[in-house]
Order: sequence, then C-alpha cells, then structure tokens
Amino acid sequence: MLLLSSAAPAWAAFDLSTLAALLAQRKSAEARFTEERFVSGFDSPLQSSGTLSFKAPAFFARHTLEPQAESMIVDGNTLVFKRGGRSRQMALDAVPEVTALVDALRGTFNGDAATLQQHFNTRVEGSAAQWTLTLSPRAGRLANQVREIQIVGQRSDLRSVALWLSGGDRSLMIIEPTATAASAPK
Amino acid sequence: MSAQVSPTLSARRRALVLLAWLALTGAAAWQIAHTRFVADLTAFLPADPDPQQRVLIEQLQSGVPARTLLIGIDGGDAKSRAETSRGLANALRASGLFEQVQNGENEAWSAVGSWIVEHRYQLSPAVDAQRFTATGLKEAIGETLSLLGTPLGNAIKPLLERDPTGETQRIAESLIPSNAPRGEEGVWTSRQPGPTGRALLVAGSKAPGADLDAQAVAIARVRSEFAAVATPGLKLQLSGAPVFGVDSRAQIEAEVRWLSIAGTLLMSTVLLLAFASLPALGVALLPVVTGVVAGITAVSLGFGSVHGISLGFGTTLIGEAVDYAIYFLIQARVGGWRAWLASGWPTVRLGLLTSVCGFSALVFSGFPGLAQLGVFSVAGLVGAVLATRFVLPVLMPHGATGARGAAVRAQMGRFAAWAVAGLPRWRWPLLMLGVVAAGLLLLRGDLWHAELSSLSPMSRQALALDASLRADLSAGDARSLVIVQGPDLQATLSRAEAVVRVLEPLVERGALAGVDSVTRWLPSLATQQARQASLPAAPALQAALAEATRGGPLKAERLAPFVAEVQRARAQAPITWESLRGSALAPLLDALLLQRADRSWVALLPLQPLGDKLDLAAVKQTLQAQPGVQTLEIGAELTRLYARYLGEAQAQALLGALGVVALIALTLRSLPRVLAVCQPLALSVLLTMGGLALLGVHLGILHLVGLLLVVAVGSNYALFFDLLQRQGQADPDTLASLLLANLTTVLSFGLIAMSAIPALSAIGRVVAPGAFLALLLSAAFAPPWGPARRVPAA
Repeated sequence: MLLLSSAAPAWAAFDLSTLAALLAQRKSAEARFTEERFVSGFDSPLQSSGTLSFKAPAFFARHTLEPQAESMIVDGNTLVFKRGGRSRQMALDAVPEVTALVDALRGTFNGDAATLQQHFNTRVEGSAAQWTLTLSPRAGRLANQVREIQIVGQRSDLRSVALWLSGGDRSLMIIEPTATAASAPK
Repeated sequence: MSAQVSPTLSARRRALVLLAWLALTGAAAWQIAHTRFVADLTAFLPADPDPQQRVLIEQLQSGVPARTLLIGIDGGDAKSRAETSRGLANALRASGLFEQVQNGENEAWSAVGSWIVEHRYQLSPAVDAQRFTATGLKEAIGETLSLLGTPLGNAIKPLLERDPTGETQRIAESLIPSNAPRGEEGVWTSRQPGPTGRALLVAGSKAPGADLDAQAVAIARVRSEFAAVATPGLKLQLSGAPVFGVDSRAQIEAEVRWLSIAGTLLMSTVLLLAFASLPALGVALLPVVTGVVAGITAVSLGFGSVHGISLGFGTTLIGEAVDYAIYFLIQARVGGWRAWLASGWPTVRLGLLTSVCGFSALVFSGFPGLAQLGVFSVAGLVGAVLATRFVLPVLMPHGATGARGAAVRAQMGRFAAWAVAGLPRWRWPLLMLGVVAAGLLLLRGDLWHAELSSLSPMSRQALALDASLRADLSAGDARSLVIVQGPDLQATLSRAEAVVRVLEPLVERGALAGVDSVTRWLPSLATQQARQASLPAAPALQAALAEATRGGPLKAERLAPFVAEVQRARAQAPITWESLRGSALAPLLDALLLQRADRSWVALLPLQPLGDKLDLAAVKQTLQAQPGVQTLEIGAELTRLYARYLGEAQAQALLGALGVVALIALTLRSLPRVLAVCQPLALSVLLTMGGLALLGVHLGILHLVGLLLVVAVGSNYALFFDLLQRQGQADPDTLASLLLANLTTVLSFGLIAMSAIPALSAIGRVVAPGAFLALLLSAAFAPPWGPARRVPAA
C-alpha cells in the first residue's frame, strides 16, 4: 500500500499525467523552428522558419522570420498579430477555437493536462525519452477545421508538431531547442 | 361672533369668482391631459451646448446607446443558455422592432462577407499603385501564402485565385474587435465568474430612445419572446438606456401617485383634527390642487413636455400650499376675510414674493430640467396663493368657524405661546451651534459633490446590473470618441480618413488598440476613385504578376480570375451612402455617421482602448491640427457638465437668496426687523447643511433646491413673527396656525424623504428638518415682545 501510494514507480505506464508532470518542470523555453505546409494545389511544400518562446504560465510567442516577418504573441487572454508593419489585438476567449489551438501548444509546454483534456481527446505513446502526444479536437468549431495534432518530444523538450487540417492540408513544424532556462533538477 | 358684522360678498361676485376658478382649472386640466411626460436625463443637459456637448446630447437623446437594450440570460448550463440566446435573437430579428440584434453568432456576417469581397478594391486600405507593382504583388502574395496550411487558411483558400493579394483578409482583419465578449457555444458569454454563466445579447431598437412608449413595447417583446423560447430555469436580465427611461417613468408615476395619496391623507388627518370639519378640509385642499395644476400647466406650456422629476417635485407643493389655507382658515376667524386682508394677507403676500424671488433664479437656468423646477414652483405657489386670496373668501368668508376643533387649536396655541416665551433663552446656544455647523461645512471640502446620475430615479441594484452587463460586453460607459464634422458628406468622410491615418502610428505605439470609422464601409469618393485608379490594366498587371510569381510556389497561370476581377473593379460604381442605407450595414452606418438638420454631417470614431488603457492625451495632441475634429470623453464630459450645472445652480441660489433679503429689506425698511427675519432663515439653512454634513451626505442640485424651499417656507414663519411683534401680542390663533402649517409641512416633506426616488428623497430630507428649524429659530430670534403683550382668551 505504501509503495502504491508513493510517487509513480519507474515501471508505471507512461500516460498523460506522467508526461504533464515531466513537462510542468520547465518554466520557460526558447526554440527555433522550421515549418513545411503541404497544401493541395501546390507542387512543393510552403516553407517558413522562425523562433518560438514560452514562459509559464501564460506567455507564448511565435515569430516567423522567413520568408516574411510576422508574429503571433499570446499573453494571458490577449492575442496580438503582427504582419506587414500592422498589429491587431484581440481577446483570445472571444474565439474559442483559437483558444483551443493556442492551448494545444501552450498547454503542452505548460504540462497542463486539464486544459488539454478540456479541448481534446488525448493519447500518449512512448516513454519519457521519446514520446508522442496526439490531440484530436472534441466536438465544436475546431473539429470542423482541425482533424488532429501530433506533438513529438524528448523528456521536457518539444521536437515536432504535426497538424492535419480537415480539408486534407497538413503542416509539420520541426523544433530545435536553443535554451533550457530554469529547468528543475531531475 | 364677529362673523355677523363682517360683510359677505354679493352672490353674483361669488358665482363669478367660482366660475373663473372652474374655467381656469378646467382649461389647465385639458392642457395637462395633452401633455407629454418624459423621464430621461437629457432635460438636465444644457439647452445651449458647445459643439462637444451638442454631440454628447445628440448621442444621449437619439444616438445608438439611447436605443440599445443590454440583455443577459442567467442560470442553466452553457448549452441551454446558448440555445436560448439563438432562439431569442432570431425571434427579435423577426419581430421587426429591432434594427440589429447581436449575440455573437458569426452567421450574421455572411451577407456582409460577400459584399466585402465584391467591393474589396474600393474598401481595402492596402490598395495603392505600389501594391500592383511586381514588388508589391510579391509581398502581398507572400503574406497570403503564409496563412495557407494553417487553420486560418481554410477560409482563405477558396478565394486564393480571385484575391491572391488578400484584400478581403486585410479588410476582415481591421474588423476584429480588440475587446469582444467571450465566446462560448458560439454565443457571447460573460467573463465574470458567478454562480452560473450568462449569455449576452445586444438589441438596438428602430424607435428612437426618447419614444418611451415604443421602447416599452420593445422591452415587453423581449420579455415575451424570452418566455416563449427559454429553457426552464433561465432568467432574463434587462438593462440599457431604454429600460432606464421606461422604468424611471413608471417608477415616477407610481411614486408620485402614492406620495400624493399618502400626503393628502396625512394632511387631511391633521386638518380634520384641527378643524373637525369636512368643508374646512375641502377648502384647505383647494389651494393645493390649484397650485399643483398651475405648476404642471405652466411647465407644459413653457417647455412642451413635463419631466417626471418636476412632477414628483409637484407633490412637495402639497406641504407648502396647504400652509396658505391654514393661515386663512385660522386667521380669518377674527374679523372675517376683510380683516384678514388687512392683517394676515400682506404677510402671506410678502412671503409669497420672497419665495417667488428665490425660485425665479432657477427659471433662468441654462438647464431645462432646473428651469422646469423653477417655473413649477413659481407658478404653483402663485396659483395656491391666488386661490387662497380670491376663492377661499368666497367659500368660507369667516375662516374655519365653529367650536369643533377649537379645543385642539387652543391647546396648540397655548403650547406655542409657552414655547415662544421660552425659546429666546436658547438664542446663544443656537448661535454657537450655527458656528459649529459653519466650521463643519468648511472642514468638509467634498461637501458639494454628486453625479448627474443622482437625478436618476434608478435604484442601486438597477445601476449595478447595468454596470455588470456593460463590463461583460466590454461596452464601458466611459467611452471616448473622436468627432469629425464637415459641411457635406464627402468633406466629413475625407476628414475621418485623415484621422484614421494620423492615428495609425499611435496604434502601432500601443497608445490605443484601434479606431472605428464609418470610412471602413464608406470611404470618401476621392479615396475610392484613387484606389480604383491605382488598379492597372490587364497587360500591365499580367506582366507584373509574371515577375512577382517567378520561382514562387503560386503560378501566375492560376491567377486569371484575379486579373479579370481587377479589370471589373476598375469600372465599378462607387459605394454611396444611399446604397449602404438599404443594406445590412445600415445600423452600423447610422451609428457612426449622422446628418444634422442644417445638412452638415458628423462622423463618430469610437476609440478602442488597449486592454483598459487609452492614451487620450496623445490622441488629442495628434489630432490638434486636424480641421473639424474634436475628442470627446463621454464620462469626463458628463462630469464636467454636472460640475458646471452645480456651479450655475449655486450662483443662482445665491442670487435668489440676495433677492429675498433685498425684498424683505425693501418692505420692512428697518435694519433690526430685517435682521430678525433673515437671521433665523440663514441659521436654519446653516444648521440643516451642517446636519447633512455630519451625516456624511454629499450635497447635489436637489439639496440646493430643498434649501431654497426652506427659505421659501421659513420666510413665512419669520415674517409672521415680525407681524406679531409689531402687533405687540403673540395671539394664540396666529401661533396655532403657524404650528399647524409647520406640522403639515414637516409631515409632508418627511413623507417625501422616504421616497425611493433619490431626487425626491433629497428634497424631503432637506426641507423636513429645515422647515422645523425655521419655525423654531424664528421664535427664538423674534425680538422681545413689547409691554402691550397680553394673552387674550381663545
């Protein structure tokens, strides 16, 4: 009894709560990304690259540098878009499907299992060394647009995010961590 | 009895007077029956506004906020609230009573969406000559491609061949509100945590805000449609200016009804005790009725409509007008009406003149609401006194004769005589109290402080509900606008475009989140034509396109529809005000663009705060050089208006008080007598204010009006004491009449002090103690009686 009620032993199944606990240790992250978008009607994938940054609990930014500069910055409930020298601000919760999409990444970075499960059916495979988190939207507007999101990671680092849109288009983002600040001792 | 020696009027003269009274009140009653009663606060806005205030008043009277209902659906779960929200919105849209009903459903935009696509080359701010060069096209196409393969791309892809430069996207982007309510189950929802959630709707009626009857119909329709579609357990919450207007009117009506019934009953009881005679009671109430009728009629004739607060104020006249009847009924008992005309009447007349003098200062107020109170008081008091002077002698030439009730009055007289004899000893302590009160008033720096809303009869709960619905909808009351005015439509639109242009850098700097402008939907003709002129002919566009797409993922061959649509757009007819008036965008257009009676135009550009921050100083500085442009901060402007209003009323009250003193001085022509009359008046005002200050009450306009009433009522007492002093005797009949008059005044204003309408209770809470103090102090400060003093038998 004592053994069972203590911290999860090494042989326990690697599930969402274990993964969340692992991810929650990280309080911030900086990374470079390259993205390929496969869009029907285009012979070759559309490419872009830039940086990602995350600060617990509510800040997430994606700065695209190539081929054109644009940014998406989320802080709390505020979403700011910057494109072509213009910026637009909006309340995140005014558009629930955008909230869900933002939470897929922010919730994963944060290790926030509850938020992920609120918007998605989740599936976790692999081990702490190499895991895959599959998110499929529950009913609602997001389900009409996004079929599935698959996030691959190693320990508390995210390494790729694949997104399947309902129309058949998809994208694959490869993530290259550049800094691991304030990581709790293992 | 002395009644027999006093000559009575001839039967003919009596019939004539009564007929004249009946004819006058009859005509007045006809006028009242055809009077419109209003309850909105705009009567308390200046009649001669400056340009900023003019826009503010236009907005408050007929603007979109004045006819916008805020609707909340509480209880149940998110799904049932969303279903009810959709059901209610559909039912209201179908009712034909509303210009627009919004609940956060995006479907409402689908019709507008295809219109935007159609007119994108006239509407998009990105369209200029540079946009269609090879470099410009490459950049624009790159921006569009960056969205493909993302969830946003699904909406963009179907338009890619027609609109590769993303003009539709560019227009849509500028429409994203920075402060939209939270969305849940596809409808607007409250962000505030509560026992249950709340779905939100906004409905703008077709009828103007000032048409309270139409607003009442619209509100009733919302309630009945909600009852029909709501899932059990859900609760409807309604607020907004129309609800305030309709509820205020209903509440004032109800309040005026019970106050006048309760006041009349209370008065009648006192009068019955004192006179023990139904005819005497009827006669005593006659000047009251005459006064109220005269007041309403005068306001109706002078202002075209009567404000609810004026009407409520009318009930306060009951307490004062009945005094005149009491003076006559008691004082005419000795020597009949002719003797009274020689003794009591000049004092009543002087008391009336001082009251009129005090209130006529308000008549000239620049604020129609305050002027109404002045006219009402003056006309009401004059009516009541004329009825006392001319009609009462016809009906009861010898006053309230008969032995019944005499015992009560004699007792009152004896009590009054005892008090009058003892009160002067309290003179010094009372003066000291006055000094303390004055000190207290000086210490309370924030004594005169109140908001325009203090004139509103709405309860605290109603105001709290309104505030919470507004917070939910991110539609704060302290909104800021840029107002752009121009001699004609095109000049106004061009000026509005210039404002949007110069504010753009401020948006980038984070001084504000954005600015809404009608030019998004209706650009000036010049701008539309410039955009169309920058569209290249087909060969040039094809050449530029070939260069722009070379080596890129999107091939120029796919973009033939784009080239064709640009060609079509070059010859497209311009978007006009008339064409928009007939479209789904009409409500938006009307909210942001107004045509005035003098054919000039006004564009309203609401400023969107960034979060809750808005750097208005930066906006003002940036717009300084723009012609026909002003910045308006609604909350601050209203506060400024009220401050001006309060200051003006204070100056007028002071003028009125000076007029009262001058009039008394002119009539009495003796410094000691003037002092004896004015001293108790000034001291009772001081003590009343001191008492209110001690209780922590903030004084506003209506307290000021109450203080004027204290002077008006109190001057009667002080003048009667002056009369008694000159006669050398404190005759118990006159004392009894003063005591009785005071009793009725204090009781009726005490009743008003309990009113649920803050404006009325403010008057009551000032006048009830003030009038009592005025009598007490008049007795205390009356000069010592001469040696001829005697106490005659009752």
